[in-house]
Amino acid sequence: MKKTLAVAASAATVLAALTGCSAGAGGSSGPGGSGSGPVKLTVWTGFTGGDRPGYDQIVKDFNASHKNIQVSMTVQPWDTITQKLPSAWLTGSGPDIAAPSSDPNVIAQYVKTNSVLPLTDTGSGSKINVDQIAPALIKEYTYNGKLYAVPANYATLSLYYNKKMFAAAGISAPPSTLAEFEADAKKLTKPGGKQYGLVLADNQTIQMWPILQWLGGGDIVSSNNCSALASPQSQASLKPWVDMVVKDKISPVGLTGAQADSLFSAGKAAMEMNGPWAAPGYKSAGIDLGIAPIPAGADGHSVTLGSTAPLAISAKTKYPQQAQEFLAYWTSKTEQKKFSLTTGFPTLRTDLASDPQLKANETIATFTAQVPDARLYLPKVPQATQVDANGYVPFIGQITRGQSLSAQAAAASKTINSLTGCSS
Amino acid sequence: MSAQTALRAREGAPLSRAREGAEPRRRRRRWQPAWLFMAPSLLILGVFVIYPILVSFWYSLHDWTIGAAVEPFVGLGNYIALFQDPQFYNALGNTVELTIVSVVLLIVLGLALAIGLLKDGPVTKIVRSTFFFPTVVSLTSIGLVWRFLLDPDIGLIGGISHALGLPALDWLQSTTLALPAVIFVDIWKNVGFVMIIFIGGLKAVPGERYEAGRLDGASEWQITRYITLPSIRPTLLFATLILTIQSLQLFDLVYVMTGGGPIFHTDTLVTELFREGFVNYRTGYASAISWVLFALIMLISALQLRIFRYDDVD
Repeated sequence: MKKTLAVAASAATVLAALTGCSAGAGGSSGPGGSGSGPVKLTVWTGFTGGDRPGYDQIVKDFNASHKNIQVSMTVQPWDTITQKLPSAWLTGSGPDIAAPSSDPNVIAQYVKTNSVLPLTDTGSGSKINVDQIAPALIKEYTYNGKLYAVPANYATLSLYYNKKMFAAAGISAPPSTLAEFEADAKKLTKPGGKQYGLVLADNQTIQMWPILQWLGGGDIVSSNNCSALASPQSQASLKPWVDMVVKDKISPVGLTGAQADSLFSAGKAAMEMNGPWAAPGYKSAGIDLGIAPIPAGADGHSVTLGSTAPLAISAKTKYPQQAQEFLAYWTSKTEQKKFSLTTGFPTLRTDLASDPQLKANETIATFTAQVPDARLYLPKVPQATQVDANGYVPFIGQITRGQSLSAQAAAASKTINSLTGCSS
Repeated sequence: MSAQTALRAREGAPLSRAREGAEPRRRRRRWQPAWLFMAPSLLILGVFVIYPILVSFWYSLHDWTIGAAVEPFVGLGNYIALFQDPQFYNALGNTVELTIVSVVLLIVLGLALAIGLLKDGPVTKIVRSTFFFPTVVSLTSIGLVWRFLLDPDIGLIGGISHALGLPALDWLQSTTLALPAVIFVDIWKNVGFVMIIFIGGLKAVPGERYEAGRLDGASEWQITRYITLPSIRPTLLFATLILTIQSLQLFDLVYVMTGGGPIFHTDTLVTELFREGFVNYRTGYASAISWVLFALIMLISALQLRIFRYDDVD
């Protein structure tokens, strides 16, 4: 009898432990089935910056106008999402919707593992307006003819400049050509690290160096997924900037994005290429701020880098229809206009490009004007994150520390080609 | 079956054929509740510790990507690839350098501080607390604070250098200075902990030994060499072992301060493991790194235990 009791007691303990464990790991979706209250959708994003209120507003508006669907958005650092999302989605315990990160070609990994839902609820009106979203982004998120995500945002990089420093150096306007850009960067640099002409981050950042390469006619990876770093055009495009960093010290070496931003907001740098999220911080830091388009390149055309974070739906969500409804709402004309006005971001919709209200706002207008010239970093390049981390970032790091451009370009090309599977 | 045989063999008593069936069953029943009561902790340990360890070895034998449709078996392929990977050797080299320098300096400085601050008094108590303070702060916060302090353009140290007319060194962006800077912060953080352990060890040394030594006319150096050090050998062993294991596994400080950069010059085995496993999603490869690290820690710990083992006279 005693034994039976003991067994029963311990069995109860085990059971309690088991249920205790499983209670915390509940699914993401709310009470299942229709009729038992609204459908609950969870969203993970990494929008921790100054643009966050814009995204929060979209969710708030959606919840207010959709009584049958309630969305809750969790904002956590991109690093955390990168670590958790693959396994969370695989096991069906993740969120219904997520923005995995703004890394290049990030959706490919999830498409490969069948973790994301192909979007089918597309069309006009209240559906996902694919035809009105920037074509480059739709192309980036389409694999084998199926669309797997919509852009959560679309930012271009513009040239931020410190008006006070420009005036002190006797420069009346921001540079508009590549030659002026180079000359100004040198002229605005004061020796001994007192002032930098153009701060250039090369790691843990939205890349700035590709813009300089593109302006001079160079590239990183060509359309056949082979490294273009060793090409004569690429080396010629990099050479002047590398020399300016190494010899003229227009920028400290090895900066992270955050460090470059701090230098600019501390008034120690005259120019920086950055996205619209940086503007509020610089203004509140008391910088006499100017924002100009990236100067025109060697061929007379301007070019800049476009950055986007995809918003995708878990293949295991219980509510694919409702989740797509949310994506459609997120990218809708009304919400995107509101979002741009709140955050200063350019619009991701082509039908808002000439909206008078958006055009009237100088910041939005500057960033929007560059959307047609924007290029994505490593678009559709296989293993893009590794190409960046093991190929491009170390390459820029080496050449800005005075290593031979041609030798490093050859070494980086070898690394990149082995990652992308380029055979030629 | 074999358990029963072993049980019987240990008891050493011949069992009658009639009792043979009943006896072991009764014994087993007596065991059952104990196991069941342990089950919750065993379950947690099993699920969160033992199973992941075993399964990581299984992963390391596969080309394992989280969520991939097929996970091809590659045998020792990941290990072979690892030993041909220059990044692995770079990370291994950094880890070993970091471990040797930081452990040696920590032991020497920790012991020196402990000896210097051994006597209890209001001043020594304050100084001791000051040294111990960084130990209670999280490594991440310390990394962030030092990253700012060491920034040549907006950091305090750069500011002081400028004020003194010295050039501000870009500690964390320089390929030669970054690793020493990380090692310095690691030592700064841990030296108080080592000091406290040594103070504990030193206080446990019986006073008679020193008295006897002094009576025999031993010099201060002789007392340290022949009385203090041998007496605190268990403490030395403990401190060295713990610090070595900690240093070999160093991740958070590097991740926060440099992210393994510049150009992988502060990349450690664990930052490489993290990058491969959680950024590039090469779980199989990352698991192989973790097993190599495990083997390395086992080997070094075994060596240390051997080096510090007691002589027969002890």
